[in-house]
Amino acid sequence: MNLVFENSEFLLKGAYYTLLITLLSMFFGFLIGLVVALARLRGSWPFRALARAYVSIIRGTPALVQIVIVYFGLVDYGITLGPITAAVIALSINVGAFLSETFRGAIQSVPNGQLEAAYATGMTTGQAMRRIVLPQAARIAIPPMGNTFVGMLKETSLVSVISVTELLRSAQLLIAQYYVNMPFYIGIAAMYWVMSTAFSALLHMVERRLAKAY
Amino acid sequence: MIKATGLVKEYGGHRVLDGIDLSVAEGEIVVLLGPSGSGKSTLLRCLNGLEQLTDGSVEVAGTRVEAGMKRGERDARFRAIRRRTGMVFQQFNLYPHKTALGNVTEALRIVAKMPKTQADAEGERLLARVGLADKRDAYPSRLSGGQQQRVAIARALAPGPAVMLFDEPTSALDPELVGEVLDVMRELAREGMTMIVVTHEIKFARQVASRIVFLDGGSIVEEADPETFFTSPASERARRFIRQLAER
Repeated sequence: MNLVFENSEFLLKGAYYTLLITLLSMFFGFLIGLVVALARLRGSWPFRALARAYVSIIRGTPALVQIVIVYFGLVDYGITLGPITAAVIALSINVGAFLSETFRGAIQSVPNGQLEAAYATGMTTGQAMRRIVLPQAARIAIPPMGNTFVGMLKETSLVSVISVTELLRSAQLLIAQYYVNMPFYIGIAAMYWVMSTAFSALLHMVERRLAKAY
Repeated sequence: MIKATGLVKEYGGHRVLDGIDLSVAEGEIVVLLGPSGSGKSTLLRCLNGLEQLTDGSVEVAGTRVEAGMKRGERDARFRAIRRRTGMVFQQFNLYPHKTALGNVTEALRIVAKMPKTQADAEGERLLARVGLADKRDAYPSRLSGGQQQRVAIARALAPGPAVMLFDEPTSALDPELVGEVLDVMRELAREGMTMIVVTHEIKFARQVASRIVFLDGGSIVEEADPETFFTSPASERARRFIRQLAER
């Protein structure tokens, strides 16, 4: 176990990349999810069809396959991405599909009367969405969104296959150096656990804050 | 002030409004009566574009919309109409994430782009008008049904509408809360507001309406002043409707 502490700096750097990729993918995935949800609910039919195909393909294929397609596959077309860039792109696209379903459900659960009331006062669809529907949908979407994000944090371990030195890969590198397995694996498992628990706690706070509002 | 001409509304082949002609002058208070499914609410919702017209046209406060207009043009015109009309819904439809004051000032801020201090002052004045000045910071979930509907009336009044549309404003209320909402509406009527009201409150209709419009099966069957309508209706259908109401 001492080896783990001696190399903690290296492992923490791995944790930093795990966190970085998680946060960036969450941010872009959130934007993608919102746009796709709105396209499915309010878009004209080509956008709706496109959005539906996107969600179906991403949800129907393994994240690992999506990651290698972005990193290794695109090379065939002359697109060479850095490993971290590729990881963030693949995971954003992945998480965006799942979030769009969450958002779609949340938006649909806001009663239609809310939209009508907003329209009746002269608001445009954009204003009514931004001011009236989305704030109410956000409250409903936050718990499932939190679950998706915690899942995402753990899924970042997949990008070790494209040589991103995140937490899992930093452990693997250390194992290759010291020829001991368990301490490092247990060590990073603990680090994943700490991070996801901290995440959950944070989301719980946001939930409570939002619940208090009305 | 309001003119509907040859108004037709169909839902999937079912004709809900079958050629309505209705005009309402400034300051008039028209009460729409009729059995459920007669098209009263649909007619009201066609006037401000919450329902799209299948055929015919509506004109409200100088803006005219015809069925078959291009979507962009139609939406823009209905928005213009909505800025001059206030609507009150059966289920209140208050914004649950905003306080009473926030509900009232929302359109002032977002649609009329009024600065916050000015909108708040206007909002407080409107809440006072419906007797709820002390509830300005309360969220809708903390208000009774009657109070919620009064906030909804204040919200509808905020942009200074030329016309108020009421869609069964007291039907979702407990009986003891109906009076406070009707009082606010009476006050509006007294101030000369042009109003179209869908309601089952016969006493209110009788006292306040300048005209009763009776619908059945998507058509206007009879139009008369309240006294004539309730004492000697011309049509058999209206007679049957009044009898049924009396038996309740």
